[in-house]
Amino acid sequence: MLIKELERKAAAVRRQVLEMVVSANKGHIGGAFSCTDILVALYYGGGLRCDALRPDRQDRDRFILSKGHSGIAQYVILADLGFFPASELETYGANRSMLGGHPDRNIPGIEADTGSLGHGLAIGAGIALGAKLDGKHHLSIVLLGDGECYEGSVWEAAMFASHHRLGNLIAIVDRNRQCATDFTESCCEMEPFAEKWRAFNWETVEVNGHCLEELLEVFSTLGHRESNKPLAIVAHTIKGKGATCMEKTVECHHMVPEGEQLSAALEELARGCR
Amino acid sequence: MASEIHNPRTDIRDAFFDRLYDLAAQDRDTLFLTADMGALSLDRFKRDLPRQFINVGICEQSLVSIAAGLSLSGKKVFIYAITSFITQRCYEQIRIDLCGMRLPVVIVGSGPGICYGSDGGTHHAVEDIALMRALPNLSILNPSDPLSASAAALMAHKSANPVYVRLDKGKLPALHREEEDFSEGLRVLKKGRDVMLISTGVMVHKVFELADELAKHNIDAGIIDLYRIKPINTELLLSYLNEYKKLVTIEEHILAGGIGSAICEIVADHGIAKPVKRIAIPDIPCSQYGDREWMHRYYGLDVQTMVGLILQDCL
Repeated sequence: MLIKELERKAAAVRRQVLEMVVSANKGHIGGAFSCTDILVALYYGGGLRCDALRPDRQDRDRFILSKGHSGIAQYVILADLGFFPASELETYGANRSMLGGHPDRNIPGIEADTGSLGHGLAIGAGIALGAKLDGKHHLSIVLLGDGECYEGSVWEAAMFASHHRLGNLIAIVDRNRQCATDFTESCCEMEPFAEKWRAFNWETVEVNGHCLEELLEVFSTLGHRESNKPLAIVAHTIKGKGATCMEKTVECHHMVPEGEQLSAALEELARGCR
Repeated sequence: MASEIHNPRTDIRDAFFDRLYDLAAQDRDTLFLTADMGALSLDRFKRDLPRQFINVGICEQSLVSIAAGLSLSGKKVFIYAITSFITQRCYEQIRIDLCGMRLPVVIVGSGPGICYGSDGGTHHAVEDIALMRALPNLSILNPSDPLSASAAALMAHKSANPVYVRLDKGKLPALHREEEDFSEGLRVLKKGRDVMLISTGVMVHKVFELADELAKHNIDAGIIDLYRIKPINTELLLSYLNEYKKLVTIEEHILAGGIGSAICEIVADHGIAKPVKRIAIPDIPCSQYGDREWMHRYYGLDVQTMVGLILQDCL
C-alpha cells in the first residue's frame, strides 16, 4: 500500500474511532489517536504477518497491545481486515458487546487480555521465548504506552528479554509524553528514555510515530533481523494526533468531543481521508 | 525410572519435585520457572533438564506474565517462589494473565502458612487461600503428605486450567496410601462420632494430635483432609457431615476467607443447621518472631488451646 493510501487509512481509522467514542460517550481517544499510525503501518504496511481468514495460524506474528486502552483503534483495523464483521463496531461499549474498553482474547485477532498496564511485554517475552525454544520464526511484537513504562514489571521483562537474547521480540513504545492526567516529564521524568532501553541491552531506534514512511522502513526490517538483541522502537508521537482540539491536551485522554470541536475534528479527519 | 515416594518420611517438597522431574523428563514442553527460589530436589531438574529450567531472577510479576506467554506458546509451565511473594506481589498478573485467560500454568508456593516461622510476617502466607479462592478458573491444592504432594504434581501437570499448589516442606509421615485416588479432593482419614475436624496441609498432622487429646475428654473426633481447597467436592463433603454433630475447621491461615469460610459457605448455602467452629489465625499482624511451634502457641493453634476452644464453644 502506498504511503498516501496508508495516510488516508489512518485518517479513516481515527474518524471511525471518533464516531465510536461519540456514540458510546466514552473511550480513551487520545492514546488511540497517538498510536493509530503505528497500528496502520503494522497491519497494512506488512510489518505484522497475520491472516484474518486464519487468525490462529501457527506462523503468524503475535501482536500484543499492552496499552490496552487504545484497543478501540485496533478494533477498527481488525474489523476492516475482516477478523470480525464491521457491524460489531457499532456495538462498542454497549451492553452485551464483544468490544469493550480493553481488548481480550474473545475478540478474533487479539492475542492477550490487556487493560492493566505493565503485563504485555512480559507476556510477549514468554511468547518470544516459546518460539525460540521451538525453533519457530514468528515475531512477538508488543505496543506499550510510555506512561505504562512507569510500571516496574516492564523493566523486569526488558531485563529478561535481553538476557535470553530474544531477538524475535519487538517493543514499540508510543512515546506521546503524556500519561492519564499529566505530562510525563512533569510528573516523573522519563528522559533519557531511549537510553534506558539501550541500558537494558536492547537495540533501540527512535522514529517519528506519525511518519508512515519512517514506520514502514523500520517495520520492513523486523522479519529478517540478524541481531539476537530484542528491539525497542521508541515512536515519538502526539497524544490526540489528528484532531487539533485534542492534540497535546491533558483532557484528550478521555475526551468525548462535542459541538464545534466535534464538527472540526470530523472535518479535519475527513480531509485526511481524501 | 519412577522416583521413590514409598518412603513414608520423604520430604513433602521432594515428593512433589521428584514427580515433576519424572513428568518433565518425559515432556520437553514442561518448563520450570523460578523467581530465584531453590530446593535440593530441584538441583537434579536443573542439572538434567537445563533447557526446561529457567531462573528469571527475583521478579514475581514478570514471572507470571512470562509463564502466560509461554503457555500461549503451548508450554506447560510451573512457576515457583516463596508462597507469600508468588501469591501477593503478582496477584494481578495471576488474576488477569492466568485466570482471566484460563491458561494452565501451575503456581507453586513454597512454604505456605507460617512454614517460615521466625523469618517473620513478610514470609508468612496466611492470607493466600482467601486471595486465591477469589479467582475464577483457579484450582487450589494443599497436599498434606508426600503421597498427596506427588499426586498434586501429577494433577497439576494434567490440568487444563491454572492451579495453585501450597507446597510445604519437611519430612512428614504418610497420611494417605499410594494407591488411593486423589481426584476426590478430600478424604476422611479418621472416622468419629461426635465432631468432624476439617483441616488442610501440614496442619492435618496436628489435628491427629488434637483428636487424641479430645478422646481423653470422651469426644470421638473424625478427621477430613481437605487437600483440594478449590473446588471443594461439596457433594462428598455433605455426604459425611450428616454423621457428625459439630464441625471444626483448623488452618494455618487467617479467619477471613480460608477453609473455615469455605465450609461455612457450603453449610449456609445448603441450609444445614450444624454448628461450625473456625480455628485459625486471628486478625492481627504478626509482630513476634518464633519457630512454627512457637507461632502456633502465639496464634492459639497449639493442641492445648484448640482443645480448650472446642470444649468451650462447641460441646
